[in-house]
Amino acid sequence: MRYRKLAVQIVLMLLVVGLSGFLRWKAVNTLGIDYDEDDYLRAAQQFSTLIKTRDFAGFLETNYRPEHPQLSKILLGLSLLPEKDYPLVQDSPTTAGPNVFLPRPLVKNARMLNAAFGVASTAAISVLNPIGGLLQAVHSFNVKYTSEVMLESVPAFTSFMVVLFYLLWRKEKVSRRRQTTWLILSAVFLGLTAASKYMYAIVGAAVFLDWLLLPRQEKPARGAKWLPALWVLSALLVFFITFPYLWKDPIPRLLDSVFYHVRYSTGAAEVQSANYPVWQPINWLFFSPKIWESDAFIFALDPLITLLALFGLVRLWKKYRVFVLWLMIGIVFLLFWPTKWPQYTILLTAPICLAAAEGLDLLVGTPLRGLFTRWKHRSEETAKPAKYEFRKVLPWLIPGLIFFTLFTLVPLFYQFGVSLTDSNSNSLREAMQGGISRVLAGGISGNQPVSLQEFPYTSNLLHYLGFSNFIPLIQYLEQTGVFSYNLIWTLLSVLLQTTLGVSAALLLWQKRARFRSFWQALFILPWAIPEMIGALMWRNVFLPETGWLALGVAKYGSSFPFAFLADWQNTPEKTLVILLIAGLWYGFPFIMLAASAGLKFIPAEVMDAASIDGAGGWQRLRHVVLPLLAPLVLPAMILRAIFTFNQFYLFQAFYQFSGTLATLSYNFFNTTGYFIHGQFSISAAVNMITLVILLIFVLFFIQLEKDINGGTHAVEN
Amino acid sequence: MGGRMRLKTKLNQVALQLVLLVIGLFVVLPIWGILRLALDGSLHSRATSFRLFPQTWSLTGLLKVLESPYQSVVFSRLLINSLLVSISAALLAIIFGMMLAYAMARFRFPGKKLGMTVVLLTAILPPIAFVIPLYVLMSALHLRTTLLALVLVYAVFGLPFCIWNLRAGFLAVSKEVEEAAYLDGAGPWATFIRIVLPLASPSIFVAGMISFLLAYSEFAIGWLFVEKASNVTLSMAVYAMVQSGNAQPWNMLGSFIILISIPAVVIFLLFQALIVKRMMFGYLD
Repeated sequence: MRYRKLAVQIVLMLLVVGLSGFLRWKAVNTLGIDYDEDDYLRAAQQFSTLIKTRDFAGFLETNYRPEHPQLSKILLGLSLLPEKDYPLVQDSPTTAGPNVFLPRPLVKNARMLNAAFGVASTAAISVLNPIGGLLQAVHSFNVKYTSEVMLESVPAFTSFMVVLFYLLWRKEKVSRRRQTTWLILSAVFLGLTAASKYMYAIVGAAVFLDWLLLPRQEKPARGAKWLPALWVLSALLVFFITFPYLWKDPIPRLLDSVFYHVRYSTGAAEVQSANYPVWQPINWLFFSPKIWESDAFIFALDPLITLLALFGLVRLWKKYRVFVLWLMIGIVFLLFWPTKWPQYTILLTAPICLAAAEGLDLLVGTPLRGLFTRWKHRSEETAKPAKYEFRKVLPWLIPGLIFFTLFTLVPLFYQFGVSLTDSNSNSLREAMQGGISRVLAGGISGNQPVSLQEFPYTSNLLHYLGFSNFIPLIQYLEQTGVFSYNLIWTLLSVLLQTTLGVSAALLLWQKRARFRSFWQALFILPWAIPEMIGALMWRNVFLPETGWLALGVAKYGSSFPFAFLADWQNTPEKTLVILLIAGLWYGFPFIMLAASAGLKFIPAEVMDAASIDGAGGWQRLRHVVLPLLAPLVLPAMILRAIFTFNQFYLFQAFYQFSGTLATLSYNFFNTTGYFIHGQFSISAAVNMITLVILLIFVLFFIQLEKDINGGTHAVEN
Repeated sequence: MGGRMRLKTKLNQVALQLVLLVIGLFVVLPIWGILRLALDGSLHSRATSFRLFPQTWSLTGLLKVLESPYQSVVFSRLLINSLLVSISAALLAIIFGMMLAYAMARFRFPGKKLGMTVVLLTAILPPIAFVIPLYVLMSALHLRTTLLALVLVYAVFGLPFCIWNLRAGFLAVSKEVEEAAYLDGAGPWATFIRIVLPLASPSIFVAGMISFLLAYSEFAIGWLFVEKASNVTLSMAVYAMVQSGNAQPWNMLGSFIILISIPAVVIFLLFQALIVKRMMFGYLD
């Protein structure tokens, strides 16, 4: 039985690795020359020449593009050895566009080397989770940057090996010698990672943190206290050994190399002109480079993988916390890192793909297995549960069901139909006369060929587009970052609302708080005011020129409180801040009320007992109050998350026409707006995407509840 | 208790009140921003300079709103439209929602689980997700620009929420009470009307209020449907005034905004505990 499982896993791994190789091979051959490929090819050529001429002392002095360490470039140089010599690629400024005249055989060799490391990463991830490997294999950003002459591929592989060996070390319970081997290998790979590209060394921080967070009972068995320090030191040693450029003059050269970025990010023209928002790294996670080069990639599932990863985080945390730490440290790092190039996404693909694999299992795997076991045990099921009460229920069901079906369900299905056509305000007349169903019938039966229409649609005749209607929309969402913006907005907003809501409840709950009912009644006001009125109120505070803030700044200058926000409409970050302020205002009272309801249930005895046991204020909060609040605050947070995800009036009032999917849908639809208007089918397609996301959301919570209550897991073994 | 102890408590109290004051200011800030506009009689158009308080206190804005709020339509017309639409929509949502909710709370029938998932899903979809088909449908029925269309559309928005909430409300009514009524010879309808309805009336009331307020404060989707000035609701008129910008003094706009939020605020403040309980989709039961 065990061998069969192993055999299945090996076959799966081989398939995944094969797919990974094929996709990267295709990309190596079809991708156009990208920015920076000339730089790294030039660096590789230099090392290749040094090796060919046996000038090994040259390694101490050669490091073209000195902001990056040498190892990746040396490996790329090795890949060029079999080729004849070509003239050295010319040194061009970083602002230069892609150099399309690079010697192709060299490019191909260097790319193939990187692709090999990309496939090795796939294999390594598959050892842990074949589905995770599969997702990494098809991840189009990963395919792109592990198949180009970039520096990402080697450190992506070595950084994963750091974690893999660390996990093996943790798993090894018997042999001391094997423990030592795994730990040393982990440190070696950390050193190699840092020597390939500095940024990837954050994996070391994740491992280190995970190590520190290990439960106490596990720690002594894992060696002395100084072991983590020794691990770091050995990694540093390996880093130094594999970075010969440092041997001669270590500290100044290292500092120069590392701090290059400070100068680069504040001065370089291309960083300035890119003008990405702070959260651009997250936008890249919801983007696929298939939009740029459609031929080079087969799959464009990156946004879906990221979405699945969001839902798999909790499970991954329980299984392999270190990957979640890696992901969190990585995202925080990239948010603060001033340059926002898309290749940095590779830093995160391994943990994201593993989280996505867990998410996929949670949403699809577990329910399917549940169905399978139920089907297997169908004969064992005892007598059917109590009979249906058809006759009794019908009089209640029929009237409501007719209304619900006619005005809620049929519209949703109809809308799905609309999203497969090019319906727009010009073809409304035809749509009114049953045109949608006519066109759909024609399209689905194949009588009417799919006709591609130019977006935005203006034809006054209806056409069947099928799912191809979703392609321009999804590209629009990815390019404008609407989708990731919507998620970032929801996440931050709910976090702020919860913080203030719970804090306000705790403050009011204090035994000696005076004027309690006054404050409570005041704090509830924003919740009682209709959303649209609240939006108009905040508009009056923040609107450029006419708003309170703008008038205040005009009168008192920049010493006016919050004056730095006055020009919010010019920077996306400030726009987000003012929307978050308004969102906080809307949302915190509800959380506060839910938390207050929870606080009422906490008996005074519990608190007294805790204080007698010597628990301080913070400990009581952390271990007594918050756990008791969670069952009430969590559902309130979920509700707020849904409302916040769908927030519409606020964005509409601040002219953020593509702030959330709901706002976008409204403005695509609106027949008279300033926006790209009257696009019924695109609006319907946006709603379909919203529907799918919210459906995943609902399934996720149903499944999570089951997970927590230990529902389906018992039958698995 | 020693003097130092008392001083410490006092300082704590001051600090606590200060923190609460900061939150309070944050809450009041945008509301006061509008109130200040509403009460300023000196405004002829938008506010042109920063003021914490009105330059000349007056209620002219409010009076002007009551006189001519939107084009040539009188205030009472808008109010009647608003009430007509909101009350009818709430009633429709409540009646149909109640029946489905009762069926789901009390009886076993095939597809119940799926049905509940569908209801939950429709309850969390943004209203805009239902607009396109309803727009086409209402256009085809030549109802699009009428108040009836608004009633139906708003009822659709409120229905899933009503079903979900009322189901929780009915589940909370003990089954034994109902069975006792049966044994006493009451039929199913009589039991429902005499026993279940009164017991579940708080949930029904809240669901109705929420549906009412949903319709009462909606404007964006209303403007997609209505074209005639005489069919405009209060909220839609406010938005129209916002859109027309500086055409009228902003004390009018401010007064209008304050005026139409009063009913909602009163309802929420009076019934806050009940509403929170119901808004939690039955999680608190």
